[in-house]
Amino acid sequence: MEEALILIGGSQGSGIETSSLILSSALVRAGYGVLSNREYYSNIVGRHSYIHLRASGKEIPRSLSYPVDLVAALDAESVFFHFDDVREGGYLVYDQDASRTKLRLIASMEPESRARIEARLKEIGAGEELSSLISALSGLGVKAVGLSFSSQLNWLSEKMGIARAEAQRFRSSIVVGAAAGLMGLSLDALEYAIERRFGKRPAVVKANKILISAVAEEVKGAVGTPLSLDSPTMSNEELMLVSGNDSVAMGKIVGGLRYQSYYPITPATDESVLHETFEALKVEGESLGSIVVLQTEDEIAAVNSAIGAALAGARASTSTSGPGFSLMVEGLGWAGMNETPVVITYYQRGGPSTGLPTRGGQTDLLFALFASHGEFPRVVISSGDHMEAFYDAVWAFNVAEKYQLPVIHLLDKFLANMITSMPLPDWSKIKIERGSTIFEAKGIWKRFDKSSVISPRPVLGSGAVTWYTGDEHNELGHITEDPINRLEMYEKRYKKLQLMDAEIAEEERALYYSRGDEDFLLVGWGSTKGPALDALAQLRKEGLRGAFLQLKVFQPFPSRLVSKVLSQYSPERIIAVEASVSSQAAKVIAMNTGHVIRKHALKWTGRPIYTMELVQAVKKLLAGSEREVMSYGK
Amino acid sequence: MASRFRTDVWIDWCPGCGDFGIVAAMHKAFAELNLEPERLAVVSGIGCSGKTPHFINANGVHTLHGRGIAFATGIKLANPELTVVVNGGDGDLLGIGMAHFVALGRRNLDIAVILHNNQVYGLTKGQASPTLKKGDKPKSLPVPNAQDPVNPIAIAVSAGFTFVARGYSSWVDHLKELIKAAINHRGAALVEVLQPCVTYNDLYTVDYYKDKLYKLEEEPGWDPVVRSPEETEEKMSRAIAKSREWGERIPVGVFYVNPYVEPYEDRIAKRNPTFSSVPPARQIIARNGGEPLLGREEFRKLFSDYIIKVKK
Repeated sequence: MEEALILIGGSQGSGIETSSLILSSALVRAGYGVLSNREYYSNIVGRHSYIHLRASGKEIPRSLSYPVDLVAALDAESVFFHFDDVREGGYLVYDQDASRTKLRLIASMEPESRARIEARLKEIGAGEELSSLISALSGLGVKAVGLSFSSQLNWLSEKMGIARAEAQRFRSSIVVGAAAGLMGLSLDALEYAIERRFGKRPAVVKANKILISAVAEEVKGAVGTPLSLDSPTMSNEELMLVSGNDSVAMGKIVGGLRYQSYYPITPATDESVLHETFEALKVEGESLGSIVVLQTEDEIAAVNSAIGAALAGARASTSTSGPGFSLMVEGLGWAGMNETPVVITYYQRGGPSTGLPTRGGQTDLLFALFASHGEFPRVVISSGDHMEAFYDAVWAFNVAEKYQLPVIHLLDKFLANMITSMPLPDWSKIKIERGSTIFEAKGIWKRFDKSSVISPRPVLGSGAVTWYTGDEHNELGHITEDPINRLEMYEKRYKKLQLMDAEIAEEERALYYSRGDEDFLLVGWGSTKGPALDALAQLRKEGLRGAFLQLKVFQPFPSRLVSKVLSQYSPERIIAVEASVSSQAAKVIAMNTGHVIRKHALKWTGRPIYTMELVQAVKKLLAGSEREVMSYGK
Repeated sequence: MASRFRTDVWIDWCPGCGDFGIVAAMHKAFAELNLEPERLAVVSGIGCSGKTPHFINANGVHTLHGRGIAFATGIKLANPELTVVVNGGDGDLLGIGMAHFVALGRRNLDIAVILHNNQVYGLTKGQASPTLKKGDKPKSLPVPNAQDPVNPIAIAVSAGFTFVARGYSSWVDHLKELIKAAINHRGAALVEVLQPCVTYNDLYTVDYYKDKLYKLEEEPGWDPVVRSPEETEEKMSRAIAKSREWGERIPVGVFYVNPYVEPYEDRIAKRNPTFSSVPPARQIIARNGGEPLLGREEFRKLFSDYIIKVKK
């Protein structure tokens, strides 16, 4: 096979994250690229969660799709949820010990999901017991591979001389073994992955190696290696295995982050935790600096303390998601009013209110663009994948300092939690630019000198004396309500938009993916990039040639470039792809260019847009439909 | 001397406002401490007290309602070499900004907070503030205040402030000494200042305070300082008990000093000494005109746990 799609399901807290990490590491070690997404409830232990993973030896995958080649289920609930996700000819690994489990007795399943599954079971002629569903799978062309998990673990406890209860900890390794067996993954790669994960605990390493290789051999013996991947053709000698949170955190560190504040919130906080872990920037025992990472009392303190740190000259940022950003809005306005460089990393999740706290969406673009009373320039940038997010995290600081304004780096839960195998960044693409930030100065300083749009900015502690206020102010930073000063100072700030528009190439703000032979266009942003590009590749195989326009910077908006691209297509052939109900990027395009996009492929279930559903949606839209709503995924 | 810290900005508080005394005390305190205006940051919130930084010749950061402490926290952590003084009103620090007030105590970060307490929201025409007693009806209120007051001294002591004092805006020299002590103290310091609001508060006036205030330091046997860590509980309890005294006698002076609690800066420096050798805000982050300090090789070493060597 050229690529494999795998789903590992189990209850939250049962170790599927570790399973997927071991599997991913082994695949990367063996030369494959991986992309995996984690779907989970807002719950610590007990609710259903799963990992959806794509591996390819040809290229690093950039989107996920269904059906999958393999569902490896740690519990009955995962089988009930995902049996329908397996392709014809695909495999489902399950625990035989759970055969008697009845659907209606699975208390952790929500009634809405249960009702839908019940209906589907009826359709395929299965009863409500797992064993009955397993028997019916052959009718769907799905091959069931049953293992007695308890027997495996009892065997392990004897082999390792550990208590049976202790052996339970290795339950999730059974599915790793099963997947590795079906894929024919090399034992070397698996052992490397196990050591990488549990290196400092030899007993755990040993138990995992024994169990995973035994299960792999057993599964191979029973069904062979039907899911083995073609030898990889990728040339990477090393790859990083990182989540979107990791990649942004690392980008910020390279970009010179010295102050990061946060209040715990999903799905942003993992980023700050990485900063805490690396706060001393220790390389071979030598500290290259120090990052202050402050867990604040709320998001209000998070943003305002970051602004304070920025006033003092530190590259400062905070990370949050929608509910937290809602609390940060007043601070955002202060930063705008006081021309302060602060970066807010904003991971969108399902709203409004608490919404779907652990699921994704692209529903906060307009909020990020317009939040706050009054008018002031801000920069809103989005990233289409992990690599972009890394570079953009550096860029965000540069833009913030050069133009002295707040920058919102708008990401989403999809990116935050997806783990990819990413090449090391290219250092020739990274530059630190601090604009007219001044670290040595003297005397009373006109911080808001009107003689240029960007006034030189001595930081607090530079030796200058400066004043700041959220009130309208004069050049010294003192309050004034004088109408002519208001006219000039307000416009001085606002003119930064024009300045940025002139200085930042539009090609950096919107990316046009075209071979020049297309007759339709997809328009998207952020996490829709991967599925859009993959859907287009698929459609091209079917003779439909489409291009992709990726919007990256929403303010200052690349109006000329976007207008030019949109003008090349008939309005009937332009489709916005967005994870929202209101197609917010299309609204921003209309506002800035006058082009009204009439066709929309939308999804707001909180789950990622999958390639196959986007392919279907695009076909229907090209055939005349105006709005296609996607909903695949559990 | 104090004139060094005056600015040309016309002070637009009501004639007779207690804030004049507070600013005068700060001017004098800063001068007597030989602070450099360039190394001092005066941070404020919103309201009459919020305007304070404009009247002081030192770096001034006039922020949002209730958020002075939050801004100050970032300033201090980014550059611990700066002296950071926060001015806020009773509504600002104890109403909308209470979360930050309590958090500063928990951190014991080296910031001095001057709380302008006149029991009303002055700039919005005299509504009840969190320190106004239940049943009080200053002339600006149409009905008596129906909410109980908070006790700033007791909250500060319980929250973890390690220097807690109260002054009076008309006793400028006494207040000046309290402010100096608060700045000299390493850790979170509070100076609550009782001040009349001449326009809206006709209950707590100069006349009201005249015969009631007394200085703690003149009380025989009063020692607010924790002399050994074992004394902490006792000194805290005594400070809180003393802070409840409000009637014919109202104490001003130092309520509580605890030099044994590690300031937040030290807690960071213990984990990472680089923090104290060069302030984060002044650390080099790039070289050769823009190359990141963290080069490719340093990056590879720092994040080696995330890198997988491919072995085909």
